[in-house]
Amino acid sequence: MSEELTNFRAEVRNWAAANIPTDWREAATHAEFVASQRAWFAKLVQGGYAVPHWPAKWPGGGRSLAEQKVIYEELARGDAPRLLLSFVSTYHAFSTLEECGNEAQKARYLPAILEGETWCQGFSEPGAGSDLAALKCKAERKGDVYVINGQKVWSTMAQYADMCLLLVRTDSSGAKQAGITYLLMDMKAPGVTVRPIHQIQGDEEFAEIFLDNVEVPVSQRVGEEGAGWAVAQATLASERGLTLMELTYRLRGSLSRVADLIRANGRENDQGVLRDFGALATQVDAACAIADRFLENRMAGIEAIGDASIVKNSYSRALRAYSLFAVRLGGAEAQRRAPITFGDLTTGNWMADFMNSYAWTIAGGSEEVQRNIIAERMLGMPREPKGWVVA
Amino acid sequence: MGRSVITPSELRDAAQKAFPGDVLAPDRDASWASLVEMGWLLIDLPEEFGGLGLGRDATTAIHLEMGRVLSRAPLIPALLGLQAIAASQSLPNKQDWIDRICGGAYVPLHMLPAKVEGRDALTGTITGVFDADMASYVVAQLGERYILVPLDCTGVRLIERTMWDETRRVFDIELDGFVPEIILAKDETAKALHDAISANAQLALAADALGGAQAALSATVEYLGLRKQFDRPLAMFQALKHRVADLRIGNGTAEALLWSCAKNAETSITELGAMKAFVADNYRAVTEEMIQLHGGIGLTQEHPSHLFMKRAMLDLHLCGSPDYWHEARGREMMKALSQSS
Repeated sequence: MSEELTNFRAEVRNWAAANIPTDWREAATHAEFVASQRAWFAKLVQGGYAVPHWPAKWPGGGRSLAEQKVIYEELARGDAPRLLLSFVSTYHAFSTLEECGNEAQKARYLPAILEGETWCQGFSEPGAGSDLAALKCKAERKGDVYVINGQKVWSTMAQYADMCLLLVRTDSSGAKQAGITYLLMDMKAPGVTVRPIHQIQGDEEFAEIFLDNVEVPVSQRVGEEGAGWAVAQATLASERGLTLMELTYRLRGSLSRVADLIRANGRENDQGVLRDFGALATQVDAACAIADRFLENRMAGIEAIGDASIVKNSYSRALRAYSLFAVRLGGAEAQRRAPITFGDLTTGNWMADFMNSYAWTIAGGSEEVQRNIIAERMLGMPREPKGWVVA
Repeated sequence: MGRSVITPSELRDAAQKAFPGDVLAPDRDASWASLVEMGWLLIDLPEEFGGLGLGRDATTAIHLEMGRVLSRAPLIPALLGLQAIAASQSLPNKQDWIDRICGGAYVPLHMLPAKVEGRDALTGTITGVFDADMASYVVAQLGERYILVPLDCTGVRLIERTMWDETRRVFDIELDGFVPEIILAKDETAKALHDAISANAQLALAADALGGAQAALSATVEYLGLRKQFDRPLAMFQALKHRVADLRIGNGTAEALLWSCAKNAETSITELGAMKAFVADNYRAVTEEMIQLHGGIGLTQEHPSHLFMKRAMLDLHLCGSPDYWHEARGREMMKALSQSS
């Protein structure tokens, strides 16, 4: 087993050395970045490394967890770009369709992902962030279509997406979770407007989506009308599960960038730096260990409520610690504003990486929401009383 | 005589029955007698010497339970001492020694460094000997040698060093012209033995620290649910819930790291030491919050919070300090990552 894995690692490393683009950090515009992302994804599909977490019937799928870890580690080690553009497609869209989609939807959309069709997520709204079930984007059924009106926000790469995983409200009469419906929306449909949002590091990784009488065929619904909340859990579960395996092992592979930085600054014998680097490496090990354990438990069917929240917070903290340590080592030099490098969490543009690390402490359910889940649903602590009054 | 394989979860259940969680820091001598009777000294002893030959996950499960109840019985130093004796290639009547030890004769390894000079006649101090009052011999690692030190011999003196951690009795052994007669291992074999013992020591201490951290967190969650102020349980305040959730994240992460190291035979000594530092530091953080979240009662000896905190502080420094291990890990990483590019 161990020898097989060593051979597999060598195979991935060789492939990576021959195929990883070297010029992706030079992308000066989003258009260039998106083009390089599409090219890299196509290359990964061809090499059989794009979707190791998919089932074996797909090309490049059916990899064991151990093999997946090797792929993620080796790609990070070889300084491959992260698949930001196809992230939602290969994880969120895939998991949702695989678990809850009907056969026609699977046949239409799953193979297209490997051909480069990209997805975005239309979940959060200006008034529904941590309290996602409070969403208001309205869908009215008119014959064979739903007519959608409303606004979505924090949608990653929505400005380049072909399709959208959309949560809408079809009923406001009962419990807020009960009136939610899950739709697959064509981003080119009339009435869809996308406005990119400028983030603190200067990137435009996510966008707002405005929906003005957009028509979505009823056949594009996933699950029953009003059952969207349950379907959304499948989407969110993939975010807190499999994606974190990729990200933690990628972070482990990226420790080599910090080692390079330590050497470049001539601090390889600085005791304080070595201690903090050692502690960081162990923290990253721990984040990998808990991501591993989480996936093993999930596969064995013994996942507990709150486990995913712990995994997510362990990773987001390790990522923050990583970028803060690098910013510290970078000194004043790291405070010079550098042109941003698109689409990665460990680019070596350390201030940008630090700012980008908030993506994981805020997005996908903020750290604070995860803490509520852990305290209330895992440790059984009571919820606060409902309602509030200004004294 | 055929033996059935005992699983770690069976060991855990047996430990919880013998040492229930509501009796903290149970009497040392009674605990020792009970764990000897249950055969815990045989757990990782190779079968050729009459042991059970179980793996790291079995000992880890036991040490975790002992940490949970703040056990006073010195199982960790006893198992490490026995490991040194079983591995010795030069000890006469080795099987007799092993049989006596498994029957309850306590021959511990010291848990802090020795500062001893001389080769034939030794002078200096062996520190961190747990419960030396119940030992007849001590296994000492002196540079490239492992020796047995009889405690009733001329030139050997026991001095108790009372620690803040009340759940451990710790002694120094002062040597003054002591002439060692029993050498367990030297040079290359001593080096190999050191690596094997050190790996088990780090895992055992980390398991103790994780068990303690889990018990400390449970006690804290329970207290917050019972204690009422402003007409509601403290557990209802989000500010406190978030702090407790952070501790749960720390425990979960420490647990995953400990077990991944326990199950992976390829983990290096440095990775194991750094893992111990991580897990023990999490224990410290949990107990620090335990005292704060218990309020006034946490600041007294009428409540057990202080016992957890003091044990955590000592665990951090046994068999290598966090500073030592983090730096060693940093150096190891720099070396490993120099070949990457």
